[in-house]
Amino acid sequence: MSRIAAIAVHTFKESVREKVLYNLVVFAFLMIGAGLILGTVSVGINEIAFVNLGLSAISVFGLLIAVFIGISLVWKEMERRTLYNVLSKPVARAEFIIGKFFGLVLTLAVNTAIMTAGFYLVLWYEKGRLAAPDLAPLEAIYFILLQLTLVVGVALLFSTTSSPALSAVFTLSLYVIGNLLDDLRVLGEQAGSGGLRGLLRLLSVVLPDFGAFSDIAPAAHGELVPGGRIFTHSLYAVLYATVLVSATILIFERKDLR
Amino acid sequence: MSSEIVQAASRRAAAIALIIGFTASVAVRVHLDREVKRQTTPVMYVTSGETLRRLSFGYQGLLADLYWTRAVQYFGRQKLSGTGDFGELGQLLRITTELDPHLLIAYRFGAIFLAEKPPAGAGSPDEALALIRRGIAANPSYWRLWQDLGFIYYWDLKDYAQAARAFETGSRQPGADLWMKTLAASVAAEGGEFETSRLLWSEVYSQAANESIRRSAEEHLAAIKAAEDIEQLNRLLAEFAQREKRPAVSMEDLVRAGVLSGQPVDPSGVRYQVGPDGQAVLGPRSRIDLRLAH
Repeated sequence: MSRIAAIAVHTFKESVREKVLYNLVVFAFLMIGAGLILGTVSVGINEIAFVNLGLSAISVFGLLIAVFIGISLVWKEMERRTLYNVLSKPVARAEFIIGKFFGLVLTLAVNTAIMTAGFYLVLWYEKGRLAAPDLAPLEAIYFILLQLTLVVGVALLFSTTSSPALSAVFTLSLYVIGNLLDDLRVLGEQAGSGGLRGLLRLLSVVLPDFGAFSDIAPAAHGELVPGGRIFTHSLYAVLYATVLVSATILIFERKDLR
Repeated sequence: MSSEIVQAASRRAAAIALIIGFTASVAVRVHLDREVKRQTTPVMYVTSGETLRRLSFGYQGLLADLYWTRAVQYFGRQKLSGTGDFGELGQLLRITTELDPHLLIAYRFGAIFLAEKPPAGAGSPDEALALIRRGIAANPSYWRLWQDLGFIYYWDLKDYAQAARAFETGSRQPGADLWMKTLAASVAAEGGEFETSRLLWSEVYSQAANESIRRSAEEHLAAIKAAEDIEQLNRLLAEFAQREKRPAVSMEDLVRAGVLSGQPVDPSGVRYQVGPDGQAVLGPRSRIDLRLAH
């Protein structure tokens, strides 16, 4: 356990040294600020536009951080040959992968927390005070974090099997497909052939449902998420992340590192 | 030492090039804006809100805000142009509300933009009705949409029975203001009366989210007040003619006869006059548009 924690902390420290991380966070802050301008050039949507743009910025830049740091997590260790140093010590490959996963999730959580603080600071400045419906964006941000956890899992999985460029393409493609699962399900229901119907139905259940974590628009209207939905979505994210990390471990265990 | 001098010179050259290049590019851009007639019709590559929603990957709320902003800016631009062409407005509003069915402002003010008579609006009350009905279907408990539905029936279609029904249904929604019931009764009993119209436009004025809508409501309220004044003045002119056995030729006659305490002025501050037919009319400098009273 302490070895996993040590790798996670090391991964976190290594991630925060990446300059791209700071650039992305700065851009996220710029976009959060731009939400104030969008509201003023429109009519009657000051707060809605600010919340929509702010949360979208947190989500998009979180996604970029998850993908671009996640895809190089294992690959970089292999390229620099630092992986051999780590594995020559009493560290199991599984521990290495789990540590890497939690390290990046920690990085994303800290980044998201910083962006959230910036978001609420501007919201407070704009409104003068914060009330109960202002908790809705916080719930949406929690859902974004759950979604990013799954993206990290996917990026980590591809990072053990492909180069960073290919991993980025695969991860982003899966992200796109994972946002269109409802359509995949509908397509399946409309498919003429039984085999195709079954395949599409299977894919819509098996692939990660990134679209399920999209809660930005209701949050902009101050709609709170029912407690039951928070629980089921959290459970789904934990279970699916377990599947992704387990699959990564299985692949990594069989990988010939000589 | 010489390399430092070269470095300093190259830095200076780069800084000068940056300033000149930036200034020149801005100047060319401004010139292009003047030369090239800017495209005023919004280009819509995707015309289905449903497709856009699917392609938005969870950011449909932000996309809806952008489309609403486009609709507002398109409306403002076309209104200023005075052409009365609002051909894209309905589609922009449809896409906005398909992306975010809970963006209430898009239904409420979008319907006003659509229903207003040209050149102030698109003059398309049927499209406005369809938009509000979609809004009600997506937000059934939001009573204000029933108020807007009744308003369109009352003001733009002069269908007082339907208007009364809409106000009545709205008054039964949770949280509805009490005056909705009064309005329903008033419209049912005396549709087309100035008092009812004033009540409706006062509500629009008090809820106006932007200057354009507030000004429009002000103009309507001023026109209603002027139309009421003219009705009242015509009654006084008739009384004067009956009593004095001659028609009044100016408002001064009514003042001299003690019928009026002073020269009556319209809401824009211009004196009312007596027209060639002996009826009260607005002064030539009046800024009131009486067509807005009906």
